[in-house]
Amino acid sequence: METTLEQAPPKVELQQWAKLIVQFGLAAYFTYNISSGNLTNYVNERFAWLSYVAAILFVLLGAATYLQLRHYHRVPEHQPVGWGVIAIVAFPLLLGTLIPSRPLGVDAINGSINLTGVNVGAAAIVAKDPLQRNVLDWLRVFAQTDLPASFDGQPANVIGFVYREPDFPENHFIVARFTVSCCVADALPIGLPVYWADQTTLPEGGWVEIRGDFEAGLFRTEKTPILQAQTVAQIEQPDHPYLYP
Amino acid sequence: MKQPVQPDVRNALLMIALISVMIVGFSLVISSGQDPVIALQTFSTRFLGIFIEAAPFLLMGAFVSGLIEVYVSKEDIVRLIPRHPVLGTVSGAFLGFAFPVCECGVVPVTRRLFMKGLPMSVGVAFLLAAPVMNPIVLVSTYIAFGMGPVLIGRFVITAIVAIAVGIVFALSARPQDVLLPVSFAPVTGGSGTPITDAPVRGSRFIRALSVGSNEFFDMGRYLVIGTLLAALMQTLVSQEQLLTVGSGVFVSVIVMQVLAFVLSVCSTVDSFLALSFVNTFTTGSILSFLTFGPMIDVKSTIMFAGVFKRRTVLFLIVLPFLMTLLIGVWINLLMQY
Repeated sequence: METTLEQAPPKVELQQWAKLIVQFGLAAYFTYNISSGNLTNYVNERFAWLSYVAAILFVLLGAATYLQLRHYHRVPEHQPVGWGVIAIVAFPLLLGTLIPSRPLGVDAINGSINLTGVNVGAAAIVAKDPLQRNVLDWLRVFAQTDLPASFDGQPANVIGFVYREPDFPENHFIVARFTVSCCVADALPIGLPVYWADQTTLPEGGWVEIRGDFEAGLFRTEKTPILQAQTVAQIEQPDHPYLYP
Repeated sequence: MKQPVQPDVRNALLMIALISVMIVGFSLVISSGQDPVIALQTFSTRFLGIFIEAAPFLLMGAFVSGLIEVYVSKEDIVRLIPRHPVLGTVSGAFLGFAFPVCECGVVPVTRRLFMKGLPMSVGVAFLLAAPVMNPIVLVSTYIAFGMGPVLIGRFVITAIVAIAVGIVFALSARPQDVLLPVSFAPVTGGSGTPITDAPVRGSRFIRALSVGSNEFFDMGRYLVIGTLLAALMQTLVSQEQLLTVGSGVFVSVIVMQVLAFVLSVCSTVDSFLALSFVNTFTTGSILSFLTFGPMIDVKSTIMFAGVFKRRTVLFLIVLPFLMTLLIGVWINLLMQY
């Protein structure tokens, strides 16, 4: 089944070089992602270590491909991988290098946004200082009670991006975040309704920091705590755009 | 030991599929009125998210598969398996923990084991279970879904189905009715090609790595295409449309099984693809995707055809399909009431 070739045919040798470039290219891409911080645009930070593993393995496999190329006649190889396969595997590298890295934003909210608590353990959140709670923490706290008015007057300080839908009541928007448990494949948009009279200056999708108090009110059809903003400051996109439940 | 099913034709078909998917995607973007640049960026983020999370596991799988190819003696494994048909079948289902292979690696390994005299039922249980019942898949499923019903369900269902099918084989099948002559152990009268572990040239470790490198490319193409489809779907199809299909007790399961079959994504990374469906599809359908897919898909079917007789291949597809379908629907019904 295995043939020992004394001399690599030129086509196979070229393919080996192509494989080498793809593997070292992917190693470089994974390393760049880690060092530039772009990695948090794609995966939960908790799993960043996996990208180190990938970078190391890409280097190892690439090195083996190189040695195989140098000493081709010594390594009996089964079926070489064809051009089509190499091209397909090179596609992520191409996408990663050609298209500027950006986290999911307002345009990725495809359908509807989640205004109810995410159904994961929440007991620890209640102990958290209200001013430290993020959008996800608040939704979890809200989910623990049926009385939206019980949060009236509680102060909040949250960041997120501006999201609007045509049927929102006047002077309202949602301060939204994406939650990411594993990677962006499971990203879920969540948000808190905000009342803010001066809407015109806030661009859709722009990041804002909001200070204010909650007051229960009617948003669409449901009575829910609405953040009455006292200040809305436009801010830079944070280093960690997603929340990790 | 791959079955060379005209690789050029297959790759050409894959490329055509890839290009047509991109064209369809592009025209959908144009017609939906989204800004194409932003849609491309959203797509790119979604695509790379899955790829970046999945690539390490694919690499680990490829690396281990290279190590097994070079370092593990198949005779030892055959000798360690209990001879009792039921015990043997059960241990066959758990053999993957000692011997982590995904569904691409499992067929050639099983075939070699058959040639070394592994009993039929054990081989079948191993073939169906090993792509899930192994440490790499355990970790990747845990990372994607955490400790919970999906992780537990995936392993329990796979064990049940693999052992059940294995026992059916233990009770009824004789090797000569099931296997192609080339897969026979010489002792049972087959004219198997003499298999010796390939002669060692150069460093064994380098050989293992270069086998792993080939495996990575070989499996990587399915990951890339599967990821492409999942990312396109998430970018272009709205939540409501997905929910219409994904909330059906029966329909959702069938859809996910067909998807698993067609996409052929490696079992080490299919959890990350399944994540794209968790917000819209039923739990039963996610589980059927994660259990049926690793057992049976387009590429393993092609490889089965090189080991088993045609009737057996059909049997090996239909039984797991029906069992995972029933279990998936049953779980959906349980969760509804």
